[in-house]
Amino acid sequence: MNEGLYIQGISLLDFARGPALRWAVVVFVIGVVWRLGAMLLYTRRDLSRPNAASAPGGVKALLTRSAPPHELEKDIMFQHYSGYAWHISMFLVLLLFAPHMLFFKGILGFGWPTLPNLFITIFTVLTMVLLLILMVRRVTNPVLRQISTTDDYVSWFAAFLPFLTGVMSYTHITFGLRYEDMLALHFLSICFLLVWFPFSKLMHAIYIWPSRYKVGAAFARRGVRA
Amino acid sequence: MSATMESVPDFGALGERAASSLQPESLTDAQRVARARQAFIAGIDADMATYLESCIHCGMCAEACHFYIATKESKYTPIYKIEPLKKVYRRELSPLRWLYRLTTRDVTAAELEEWQELAYDSCTQCGRCSLLCPMGIHIQSMIQVVRNGLAAAGFAPAELQAVSVEQRDHGTVFGAGPDQLLTVIEQVRAKGVEVPLDKPKAEVLVLSSALDFLRDASVLEATARIMNHVGADWTVRSNGFESANFGALTGDKRAQAKISRRIIDAAVACGAKTIIVDECGHAYPVLRWEAATLYGKELPFEVLAVSEFLAQEAKAGRLKLRKKANGIPVTFHDPCKLGRMGGSLQDARAVLAALGLPVKEMESHGRTNLCCGGGGGVMMLSRAKGLRQKAFELKREEVERTGAATVVTACNTCMQNLELGKEWLNWDKDIVNLVQLVSENLA
Repeated sequence: MNEGLYIQGISLLDFARGPALRWAVVVFVIGVVWRLGAMLLYTRRDLSRPNAASAPGGVKALLTRSAPPHELEKDIMFQHYSGYAWHISMFLVLLLFAPHMLFFKGILGFGWPTLPNLFITIFTVLTMVLLLILMVRRVTNPVLRQISTTDDYVSWFAAFLPFLTGVMSYTHITFGLRYEDMLALHFLSICFLLVWFPFSKLMHAIYIWPSRYKVGAAFARRGVRA
Repeated sequence: MSATMESVPDFGALGERAASSLQPESLTDAQRVARARQAFIAGIDADMATYLESCIHCGMCAEACHFYIATKESKYTPIYKIEPLKKVYRRELSPLRWLYRLTTRDVTAAELEEWQELAYDSCTQCGRCSLLCPMGIHIQSMIQVVRNGLAAAGFAPAELQAVSVEQRDHGTVFGAGPDQLLTVIEQVRAKGVEVPLDKPKAEVLVLSSALDFLRDASVLEATARIMNHVGADWTVRSNGFESANFGALTGDKRAQAKISRRIIDAAVACGAKTIIVDECGHAYPVLRWEAATLYGKELPFEVLAVSEFLAQEAKAGRLKLRKKANGIPVTFHDPCKLGRMGGSLQDARAVLAALGLPVKEMESHGRTNLCCGGGGGVMMLSRAKGLRQKAFELKREEVERTGAATVVTACNTCMQNLELGKEWLNWDKDIVNLVQLVSENLA
């Protein structure tokens, strides 16, 4: 038996890491597959004679788009590198925090080396601080405010909450909640992220690849590096 | 070094004059929205849907757009310019359309009308934003679909629409038809330069541009001198000579197809193996990259920009040039439609090298070139003049930093916009177009 909240005989923690997580994964998988349906729309055949093969340009753009030429990048430095920083930090925390690795090991059956907690703490703080700065930027910068939708704000919460609940669980700063309940909230925040993912811009984690490929291929066909 | 030309035609006034004769179609708001929606849906394919699904609303594309950089006005953010298309995609085609229909409003006629400024006045279709987007979204291709929708809804600027209708229905641009072509050719012939008109058979079909009729015949003359110099079997056809395609600029796809078809038919009639598009920026990608798909089959000839042809002939040794021993450095302004959107990035530079002119590159050159601000039909819109001037300032700064006294370019629109900039700013630079530079230095 766990400590903490019980609802109809099942602890909140068992609910969060049991049925809630399982259903969240089901929604995630079905939702992602469904949303990728956009790529099944009619494809137009280009009848012009190509200057060069398009596929190599598409493959190249998968990586080169991460490093735009200086004249294009010079005015987006902060946004560009803060984006890199928090995404990389997020993946480090997700995959190299020992309890996370153990959780995945329980599912996959194998584990991997992890980072000391000090580093995990640094990366967690870095991610949260950058996410906060980027949110302030989104609401104050006229360009961003103009193109922002509810999706942007909800997706921000979906990304931020697992870090917040994770830090609170890890540090036991739970404002009166039992550790088990805090951990349950951490799992529930992950469930929310998984369920929200297919309905939101979080899908960019998948769409970025076909999109980069397609722009790379389109330009390469004309003999231009994208 | 500069060729002497008469002053730049007032395209704004020409556009306004053309617009005054336009009989606008009477449409209800519902009809306008329905037509725009239909055109948007017709324009969205799997590639575009992928782009539309990918946007993370990061706004980085703003920093690639000369109109945003020059004004810092958020409405000029490239991805914002496709907002009506996004709306229609979400509600009509997206896999989550059932959700979006509940949570979003449909596009309105008022909104479409408001977007005219964003899709036409403040977008030269230069494609620079498509190079910066971290998601790899080809924004330029989508702005063209927005233009398609606005044109279908009757919201294209009257200045462009009127010329598009004229060109579609009569084959003329600003009234220039076969008679005017003959007059211009006679002027060139009077200078002792042979221009073969309507040869029944020819290897190469050369297209002219509106500038030959609006300004003087110097570009046609220069092209003719070069064609004769290299010994080409060439002709100009009075039933398909104009390279500009106002259907494409307006976003009227049917007009675009019909206008391209005229050139294709002229080339087929004389058995041309090659079409040379004169120094007209948008005309090149429209014919080179879009015409075949609209035609429904591969074109039975190759399409070359005149700069490509010059580089090809120089390499083959047929184009013999007087090479300067200690040429004064020049800078080259890449026309967006030829370079980034066309694929001809090295040809003009190869020709300049053959002329012995070192090129001092601008910070943004080649594929990342900054647009001069005049392309995509923007020059025809008087009301966009202030915006164009602001964008031009960026170009001026980049040119200044090279220290070169001469700007060479290979597009008539760029050329004229640079010359206008010279007038506005009392600028001390020489603006030269490649074809004239070559014709003045034939060995």
